[in-house]
Amino acid sequence: MVDIGLTVFNGLAWGMATFLVAAGLTLIFGILHILNFAHGGFFMIGAYVAYSVMLAFGGTMPLWLYLVAAIAAGIAVGGMGWGVDKLILRRLRHVEDAYSLIATYALLLVCVGAVQLVWGLNYLSVMPPPALNSVVFLGDMFMPTYTIFIIACGILAFIGLEIFISHTEMGRLIRVVAADPWMAKLLGLNVRRIYLVTVVFSFALAGLAGGLLMANQSLSPELGGIFLLQAFGVVIVGGMGSIRGAFIAAILLGMIESFGTYFVPQYPGIFFLVALAVILLIKPEGIMGKEQTA
Amino acid sequence: MTYRISRRNLVKGAAAAGLAMPFINLRTAAAQDGPITIGIVTPLSGPVQLIGNFVRQGAEIGVAHINANGGINGRQLALEFRDSKANPNDASVAARELIGSGVNLQLGTISSAVALAMGPLLESEGGVVLTSGAGTEKLNHENYNAHVFRVGDSPVSRNAGLVRHIVQSRPEIRKWGGIIPDHEYGRTTWKIFDAAMRKIVPELTGEEAQIADPILVPYGSGDYRNYITQAMRLDVEGIYTSVYGGDAVTLYQQAKPFGLFDKIDVLLDSANEFLVATAMKDQTPAHWSGFHWYYEANKGNPLSDELYAQYVERTGNKYPMGWAAEAHAGIMAYAGAIAKAGSTETGDVIAALKGLEFDSATGKRRIRAEDNQAVKNAELAFIEPSASAPDGFAVTDYVSLDGEKVIEPATPGQPLDTTIL
Repeated sequence: MVDIGLTVFNGLAWGMATFLVAAGLTLIFGILHILNFAHGGFFMIGAYVAYSVMLAFGGTMPLWLYLVAAIAAGIAVGGMGWGVDKLILRRLRHVEDAYSLIATYALLLVCVGAVQLVWGLNYLSVMPPPALNSVVFLGDMFMPTYTIFIIACGILAFIGLEIFISHTEMGRLIRVVAADPWMAKLLGLNVRRIYLVTVVFSFALAGLAGGLLMANQSLSPELGGIFLLQAFGVVIVGGMGSIRGAFIAAILLGMIESFGTYFVPQYPGIFFLVALAVILLIKPEGIMGKEQTA
Repeated sequence: MTYRISRRNLVKGAAAAGLAMPFINLRTAAAQDGPITIGIVTPLSGPVQLIGNFVRQGAEIGVAHINANGGINGRQLALEFRDSKANPNDASVAARELIGSGVNLQLGTISSAVALAMGPLLESEGGVVLTSGAGTEKLNHENYNAHVFRVGDSPVSRNAGLVRHIVQSRPEIRKWGGIIPDHEYGRTTWKIFDAAMRKIVPELTGEEAQIADPILVPYGSGDYRNYITQAMRLDVEGIYTSVYGGDAVTLYQQAKPFGLFDKIDVLLDSANEFLVATAMKDQTPAHWSGFHWYYEANKGNPLSDELYAQYVERTGNKYPMGWAAEAHAGIMAYAGAIAKAGSTETGDVIAALKGLEFDSATGKRRIRAEDNQAVKNAELAFIEPSASAPDGFAVTDYVSLDGEKVIEPATPGQPLDTTIL
């Protein structure tokens, strides 16, 4: 029973860490219809920015400062999103998808190069703040508090995004532009501005995810690629552009990966890919389908 | 149809040939007296650029040493770098291009896949390569090729050395488990560890080793919690791992709050040297790590002292990785072989490398003529967190084991037989 509980717990951790990265990715696809390969790169920069904030405060930090560092990373990367929209994404809105893919992949390489220049090639490691560096016991089951924190952050990010998209003025405007940008323009909406807000928000989510997850894994210029495949998988299985779909897909794929590893440990890491293929064969449009997008 | 050569044209031709001859002779003379160029095909970009940088530094320091001491037979050494990206295709293109421009002596290979691809290529193109740390056992066994030499550790001497030392120093620990990357090198290291444990524990203690099935983990993952949970379920006293680089840092970082390292007595890391410790600092779990070269274990060896001093001066990094010493050893091996052969021709250098004894940062090395594998000391160090150390960790013990005692017999062309370890 403890083993099953831990397997569920680990699956949730996998899912919520991936959802934190995937949230911005699916948002930008839902509105701009751009598959942003550079998202992993900006997630990585967010982690490094938060690391630098942490170093500036002496290396060890309380929980509140850890959160401030993550928010600072979100703001910094959101600002980069503003620049990226002005310089690159705005020019890609009326070109074929292949150009967007190549341009954003090139941007990912620029991110990797920038990280190498600024922070170097060495592996770095950040331990969780002391308040999150312990273990909670549920009967015989032990759960690291930092892992609980990641799961909570994923759930809170989902709730926050749902409220933002469904219950705020800007969220409604974003949905209108996503549904029909031509009609939105005719109605007098500043579509370009709404696109810009979406990009900045999406990049800020990538930076925030980087900051929150900086103590989850090693930091290196390879980090951008580590979560990217998982995040794309979650976005595709969830239904391109659907935040709700991405959340459900993250949990589903996390559980499949976790239980797969538990029952068939001889084939590590394969279950995510198998599940991705099978789900897309059964439901190619993803769990939430196109009509549910953002 | 017949061609007639007029007297005038004959005179013109002779004059032109006469004018050109001194230049042809000069060029040949320059090639024989000018610098000997060694090609370095190593990752200079991409995920393993970090390792390629160590190779670059080690090779440059080695060349500076040789040149400062008069070169080889009066000729200086020069280096020509190409980026392999740790990818067999890119490495093949670079190696072929270098050979095309006359650079037939190469080194710098660190990836097993690249090293295995180099053999047939260099054999057909007429070159030779010394690997700077590629770990597959196939290089000197079933994929043996006369044009590829490994001047560093064989995976057997590294892992069997680790096992021998641990069993000698901690004979009471007999229950072992492993966390192994799910790729060929990972499985090879486990095969050697498992075989060595099963042989050495009874040999030294009279008891049987109890070894659990290894936990296989994926390469390049951001989440190892499921595998850590599996490890927590094992009834073991020691854990062996060959997870490397950023994956190892992530694994250790995520395992720490689960209490995995408190549960076991010994953590045996096959190869990370200072990669984990410099990242995790005072959070580093105490562990033994295998090293290509640990400078403190070679203090007093002039080549080691010079390599360390030069490396620190050039980079400011106090913790050079052994990859630098393996590239440095490659330069020393070429220098010895060229001096011995009196030639830089591929066939002559290969013949001279076989059986060559040369000095290196880890002391004397001997390249076995049968399988092109160097016999060198196996080095390992115990790294643990330290509140008083400026970097948060310290090496508190180290050993250098006689390579002759931990290397497997040469069986080129045959798969590694672990029963003869």
